[in-house]
Amino acid sequence: MTQKELHLQRLVKEANEKAFQLNSRRHFIKESAMGLGAVALGSLLHSCGLGSSSMNNNNNIVFDPAHPLEPKLPMFPGKAKSVIYLHMAGAPSQLELFDYKPDLMKLDGQDCPQSLLEGKRFAFIRGVPKMLGPQAAFSQHGESRAWISENMPHLSTVADEITFLKACTTNQFNHAPAQLMVQTGSPRLGRPSLGSWTTYGLGTENQNLPGFVVLTSGGRFPDAGKSIWGSGFLPSVYQGVQCRSEGDPVLFIKDPNGMDRDLRKASIDAINEVNQQEYKEFKDPEILSRIAQYEMAYKMQISVPDVMNINNEPDYIHEMYGTQPNKACFANNILLARKLVEKGVRFVQLFDWGWDSHGTSASTAVDVGLINKCREVDKSITALILDLKQRGLLDETLIVWGGEFGRTPMMENREGKPNPFKGRDHHVGAFTIWMAGGGIKKGYSHGETDEIGYSPVSGAVTPFDVQATILNQLGFDHEKFTYNFQGRPYRLTDVSGKVIDEIIA
Amino acid sequence: MFLTITEFIGRFHVLLVHLPIGFLLIGLLLQWLSVHEKYQISKEVIKVIIFCGMIAAVFSCITGYLLSLSGDYNESLLGWHMWMGISVASISFLLFARLISGRLDIWYKVLSVALLIVIFITGHLGGSLTHGSDYLTGPLSDEPDSVVIVRKIIPDIQEANVYADVIQPMLQTRCYTCHSNKKQKNNLRLDSPDWILKGGKNGPVLDANPEESKMLKRILLPREDDDHMPPKQKPQFTEKQIALIHWWIDQGADFNKKVKDLQQPQLIQPYLLALQSDHLEKKAIPIIPTEPVEKADEKSLQPLIDKGAIIIPVSKSSNYLMANFVSAINITGKDIKLLLPVKKQLAWLKLNDTNVGDSALSVVGQCTNLTLLQLNNTKITDKGLGLIKNLNKLQSISLVGTKVTGKGVLQLQSIKGLQSIYLYKTAANKNDWPALKKAFPKTEIDSGGYIVPLLATDTTLVKTPKSVK
Repeated sequence: MTQKELHLQRLVKEANEKAFQLNSRRHFIKESAMGLGAVALGSLLHSCGLGSSSMNNNNNIVFDPAHPLEPKLPMFPGKAKSVIYLHMAGAPSQLELFDYKPDLMKLDGQDCPQSLLEGKRFAFIRGVPKMLGPQAAFSQHGESRAWISENMPHLSTVADEITFLKACTTNQFNHAPAQLMVQTGSPRLGRPSLGSWTTYGLGTENQNLPGFVVLTSGGRFPDAGKSIWGSGFLPSVYQGVQCRSEGDPVLFIKDPNGMDRDLRKASIDAINEVNQQEYKEFKDPEILSRIAQYEMAYKMQISVPDVMNINNEPDYIHEMYGTQPNKACFANNILLARKLVEKGVRFVQLFDWGWDSHGTSASTAVDVGLINKCREVDKSITALILDLKQRGLLDETLIVWGGEFGRTPMMENREGKPNPFKGRDHHVGAFTIWMAGGGIKKGYSHGETDEIGYSPVSGAVTPFDVQATILNQLGFDHEKFTYNFQGRPYRLTDVSGKVIDEIIA
Repeated sequence: MFLTITEFIGRFHVLLVHLPIGFLLIGLLLQWLSVHEKYQISKEVIKVIIFCGMIAAVFSCITGYLLSLSGDYNESLLGWHMWMGISVASISFLLFARLISGRLDIWYKVLSVALLIVIFITGHLGGSLTHGSDYLTGPLSDEPDSVVIVRKIIPDIQEANVYADVIQPMLQTRCYTCHSNKKQKNNLRLDSPDWILKGGKNGPVLDANPEESKMLKRILLPREDDDHMPPKQKPQFTEKQIALIHWWIDQGADFNKKVKDLQQPQLIQPYLLALQSDHLEKKAIPIIPTEPVEKADEKSLQPLIDKGAIIIPVSKSSNYLMANFVSAINITGKDIKLLLPVKKQLAWLKLNDTNVGDSALSVVGQCTNLTLLQLNNTKITDKGLGLIKNLNKLQSISLVGTKVTGKGVLQLQSIKGLQSIYLYKTAANKNDWPALKKAFPKTEIDSGGYIVPLLATDTTLVKTPKSVK
């Protein structure tokens, strides 16, 4: 054995011994103590609900950028499969529609008691306003004896399908923040809307149509702008797709003259290929979203013109809804909403502008303009409820109707002077939202306001409670339905919200 | 009076106990750290700390004994806690003696280790006494909180046992946290008839006169009252529950009788009826069968999914499936056969607007767990309905826009749980109605065809305010 070999042998022996040392009992115990501790800590944290996200996968929604709208599973079987949200932008007056306050009539024309004004801020009321009695006659309807005013003669006939939330409150008295509050759970910009959360959590059942469709009417967009159907920090594919109810439902849906389907397909394939390469290079999931959007757009070119065309509905349906052919109007949107839901669209959001009854002009007076707004929507909303019902779809479609806040029992006195017409100012303290279908009680009323409809006396609910209830009907626990952003899990209802159990059938 | 003063002092125990724990632990810690030169601390400081701990331990023992006189605690646990507490005080005394005399030998080390152990044991026992022995491990165990009880199904309230089915579940949710085998505040237990009859420290809780019964009296006290039960920060009884308890005591507080054996005033009847399970579920819309089912083999479904069908579990926690063919309307009866491997799992099936006909229903007829079936605008006929008459779990069926007739629908008569049938735009006409109503007395049959009449006001506009009233 040479010196070198001997040396090598010694080195190997030494290395082996070192290795054995690493496996000594002492080392074993030392190492495992740490490991066991970590395991124990992990399970402890997990039981506190602090485990890492991979551990409670159960509640996490997997975002697959290549198939973002594929249907996903709710946490528990939801009673509602789709939602039609009818947002009356501007905030309708509950005191002329659903919240019957005969005692307010007795105070009509009197000065508002100081006790109601102390510590309160209003958007326009200054000084001491006069009280304003209900400007509509009320009567009770259906077996549920629901009070509905003469302004909604059609809706009165389906009172037994509806649950009224008569003591809704909010904390925002200007339109834009209040609309954001109702639709996104925050008065500031940047949060995903109700429809975005829904399609993010559930995907959509019809792969040839958008999952979240927005339809607007009333001649103006809601004050909060397009961000109330935005996707906030969720992937952009979940934002609402705004469609038009006249002309092409989606702009540029038709292929340009001279371009046939094959050429269109070839060009989309080519674009997607480029995008794929881009993705390989940068790994930005938004690129995959974009590819998915191109593919969906191609499929939509076939399916959308058919579904979105209300003209192929029979005449009696048009009569039922009171549509106005080839015009942009609320009734057309409502009929479209039914068609979309029937075809498996998850969330249809309607905004109708023009409910801001301040009384500064005839069109905003509670005894002129408000009545005309009611006439625009009453027949079609009633038709929607009945039409879904006869198709067996009302049970699985949740209809929500409401504004962003309520209106004061006082008459507005802008700049301290009485307004030229009878109107009411914005009011955060009390307003009415109603729901129908989707596993909500039929013919029920939850919550009450005081004698003049100023504040809740029982069953008060916030926008968060309404959102929690909507998510619950879709099969989500609103407290566990989260998205990680900026280092913390976000939820639609933030840190509040309680499901309104009383109204669930 | 004596008892109340001792009890008052005794209650300081809960506060005082933390002092010896803190003092002694920091004393021991500093003592052991002093081994390192870096953390060298004057022996005098440690002496002061151990002395404080010793005095605090003695006071804790005294107040603890006074508190134990109230008798609200589990006796065996209490005995152990007491002796361990006394050990803490004695060991700290010995330790202090050795510190003073400067004999820091092996016994000194043994004593300090023993002290550490005894402090932990005593503290743990004390925690078990105040919070209940399962307080610490509760969140770790998979068992649901023992206070949460599964609501028993009461098919017929009249046949139910008035105590076991009506009263006990209420007591369980509102009283058992403090008055059961876990804790016996004021020596009162309410978790069995014998214990209830025995009463507590202040005597029996029941009386022939409901107003005189301590149980009801305390519930009815104003919430701010110190004697009000359940304590004001705990969940309270609802008015309905109070009415039921009042009624039960009024009827003699019997533990064995059935509801039908007791008189039922009008006020009570709706409350009782509300406990009946079908009363709650009557309105429930199609949901999944209650029996568990094994996971579906989803491989066989791939050809259907490739055609655009959506077949997914109804939720993350269920193996039941829903199938929707809204994006696959070109499927045929042959494709539907691919559903056979999941026939047990399929709970909701939507075939609306597809081309399928009666042949598909021979497959659907084998999916015996279906609760919801939608066949709107398909080619099915009466013959097909005959093939699905054995779907006993079916709750809702939509046949809108098909050729089925009233006669065909009558074939579904044997499905007991059917809640709704949608027959809008079918061949079923007015003449079929009496027979259908008779055959489906509990089912909501919707023939649709609703009309929203055109009112004059629908198309006119208001220009000026109405005349002033």
